[in-house]
Amino acid sequence: MSNVVIDPVTRIEGHLRVEMHTKTLETSTGKWTVVDKAYCSGTMFRGIEIILKGRDPRDAWIITQRICGVCPAPHAEASMQAIEAAFDVKPTPLAILVRNILHGAYYIYDHIIHTYLLIGPELGVLAKYPPMVPPALGKEGIAKLNLGSSYAQALDIQRKANEIVAMWGGKFPHHQTEYPGGMAVKPTADKIAKTLSKMTEIWSWVANVMVRDFTKILEANERIGEAVSAILDVDFRGLQDLGASTGNFLSYGLFPDHENYDDWLSILYSPGYRKSALIQAGAWDGERKAFDLKKIEEYVKYSWYDNASGLHPSEEDLPKPNKEKSDAYSWLKAPRYDKKVYEVGPLARMINTFGMKWKIPITNPVTGEDFGYFEYEVQNPQGSVIDRVAARVAMTLLIANKMFDWLEEAKSYLGEKVTVKKDKVREREGFGLWEAPRGALLHYIKVRDYKIDRYQAVVPSTWNFSPRDDFGQAGAAEKALEGTWLPEMSVAEICDAIYPEKDIDLSPLGISKVVSWGEALTPALKQLGLARLNIEKVNGNEYNTTLALLVIRSFDPCIACAVHVLRC
Amino acid sequence: MKLTRRNFVKLVSALGASAFLTTYKSDIVAALEENKDYWHIAWLNGGACTGCTISFAQTADPDILQILTEILVGNSGLPIVLPDYMETIHLASGSLAEEFKEKWKSGKAGKRILIVEGVIQDPGYCVIAGKDFREHVLDAVRYADAIIAVGQCATFGGIPAAKPNPTNAKGLADFLKEEGVSKEVINLPLCPVNADQLVVTLAAVIIGAKVELDDYGRPKMFFSTNMHNDLCPYRPYYDKGQFIETPGEGEGCRYKIGCKGPVTWTDCPLRKWNNSTSYCVEAGAPCIGCSEPGWPDKFSPFYEEVPNLTSAIIDPTKLGTGIFGATLAGIGVHAVRRSLRRRKEVEENE
Repeated sequence: MSNVVIDPVTRIEGHLRVEMHTKTLETSTGKWTVVDKAYCSGTMFRGIEIILKGRDPRDAWIITQRICGVCPAPHAEASMQAIEAAFDVKPTPLAILVRNILHGAYYIYDHIIHTYLLIGPELGVLAKYPPMVPPALGKEGIAKLNLGSSYAQALDIQRKANEIVAMWGGKFPHHQTEYPGGMAVKPTADKIAKTLSKMTEIWSWVANVMVRDFTKILEANERIGEAVSAILDVDFRGLQDLGASTGNFLSYGLFPDHENYDDWLSILYSPGYRKSALIQAGAWDGERKAFDLKKIEEYVKYSWYDNASGLHPSEEDLPKPNKEKSDAYSWLKAPRYDKKVYEVGPLARMINTFGMKWKIPITNPVTGEDFGYFEYEVQNPQGSVIDRVAARVAMTLLIANKMFDWLEEAKSYLGEKVTVKKDKVREREGFGLWEAPRGALLHYIKVRDYKIDRYQAVVPSTWNFSPRDDFGQAGAAEKALEGTWLPEMSVAEICDAIYPEKDIDLSPLGISKVVSWGEALTPALKQLGLARLNIEKVNGNEYNTTLALLVIRSFDPCIACAVHVLRC
Repeated sequence: MKLTRRNFVKLVSALGASAFLTTYKSDIVAALEENKDYWHIAWLNGGACTGCTISFAQTADPDILQILTEILVGNSGLPIVLPDYMETIHLASGSLAEEFKEKWKSGKAGKRILIVEGVIQDPGYCVIAGKDFREHVLDAVRYADAIIAVGQCATFGGIPAAKPNPTNAKGLADFLKEEGVSKEVINLPLCPVNADQLVVTLAAVIIGAKVELDDYGRPKMFFSTNMHNDLCPYRPYYDKGQFIETPGEGEGCRYKIGCKGPVTWTDCPLRKWNNSTSYCVEAGAPCIGCSEPGWPDKFSPFYEEVPNLTSAIIDPTKLGTGIFGATLAGIGVHAVRRSLRRRKEVEENE
């Protein structure tokens, strides 16, 4: 057994260390190293919940959005909804529409950034799809080998999506325009028109480039499956057999119906689905079940805390850290639903809303031009790398479509009130349940004497990257890493093993040579000092962590949020 | 007119010239292209939310891709799409990522920029690859030819340093002072850093223009104007005594919903955010003062009017110092003038 450590895991938010204990898999073709057990830990602590105590409750949403600068908007929104629940005030229909528009644009940015910049490089390299690979050769590489063209466009499009957030929020990251009972931003026909114009360009890119890129990766995925099956002599279909977790999926719902906000609020008080929302709530364990807020508990047996284990967020006290606690190995808590491990994130949202088969229309909202549908069937009911990426692409398209409806609707509410002002409450508590792009997000506020008495945030990456719980169950990502192959090969060698044929023409770069994909990558990687990309050396053996990193990044880890109260 | 390098240096050196950078920023790349001697950048993340990295990714004219392919350079000597080290977008993970951090140190002397995002905390609160973030920083600082702290956290401590500051978090300059290291830190506060300000600062450093700093280490070209007095487009409303009292409703100055513009020094109204799209006050929200030392504690509750702040979390005995106190006095004068004017209007109407 070896102990392979990735520290730091880059291209994520925050600081994450992943430790993998290996075992040997013996097949007819040889002996292979795979992950036996995995352990995830976050490595940074700031103490936001402690800082919140005693403050004006209205400040909470501004402070908690600083939990994470990649997903600030969802923290703001979950926090604002918790404040509103405590203040007993409902935003106006126009405010809900404006929030949907702001957060819709935010979502589009986030899913694009993740798909192209964070998980994209490994996906693109494995799928032999240069537009997904960062332009390692600079501008020349982009122009001559079509290298990184989608990557470069993605940077441009995410910026435009964020310009919409800034238009309605003042700036991004960390928008500033929400208020208990509504919005501080005044919707105007001018803002709506500008947003429509930006959305038209963004929609076209999502419908054409993003969907096309995913289709290409899906095609290459079959080849990856065949090649890996042949090398290892195991039954491996492709990236759908990489990163399988528990098959339990939790979603709180997203984008309420502005005319049915009572349905949205109902799950704060009794089990439900939020069926009127664009993305619905639910707890999937092979079949669809109503989401029940009472079933959430956080466990700390393997976390460095002296707090009581197994408490509901409304009962939890401020963290009591204890570095010396025996058996503990992480500063993340382990949230559980109905005492079981649930995965959260885009795949959980899609499954809880649409089941295992999705069909999203690709009709140009402006011209009406019909491009058919984005259709996808979940390939692994336990979840997988490719299913998680598919869900992210599907959600981006779904929201890009819906943005036009919200903008049209908002027009008919112009001139109506955007805020029902509510400044304070003496004593009450409230939950906010929303979804960050990376998963289900809960904020809880307790107000006493007009001040914050207690605050709890149960965040996506604590669900996905939690340590073992009191029952010994591994967290979702820890489970998903089990069985992952750690090839003793370089990235270029893996590429050549999957694509041995020589079909990359280097003549645009002034070299009259046709080489294989791995051969083409080798000089670029070497020149950039990346020849040893994703290689970890242990006891003289070199393990390639590319597949493990794909599994980790498929969950879109956001560690500053997971360790908002913790440290490692 | 194409901005030459020579003129660019002159312009950057000029004080109070923040406006030109908005006008000319598309020419920055052209000026920098003349500077073929590429620079090496290491971007370290400590107790941060990564918001500054994301903000940097929102640059336009030049956009982030132009910057990374035309201005910066990695260890290869090629113009590439990645700095030597930047945790959030770097291709390398694990041990190779640590190697890249090390290699940055051997970049050409005089050409190494260190960017720090996030607070520095007591030992053990941020550990990367088994090494405390404090050590990562001290190590890198020794090799850095220019140091830029980005965002409220790395400059003045920001949210993690807010009361009761459970991790003893502080900004980079304070940390270095405590460690007895004397090296200039360019502070770019705001929460997050304004991408434009960072790009222009980088450009100024690379091109050899002296960036003049105020008492808090902030470039004067961005932080020497008072947002409320000098730049706010809603100032006429304030002078007329016309205020918004419900966020999102009505026309007027945001002062009564807690705007901290009067005690905030930043060029947000001019430069704006996200490709000059908007800024907090323009969108309708109050300014929360995130450019200032002492934020958030001295500036919260965020929805309380400036004169009411002394009754909240902040220590009133410390409030009266420096510009904060002077501005409060100024607001007092204005309030008197406003009420006189209003009384006069009432009298005239009668």
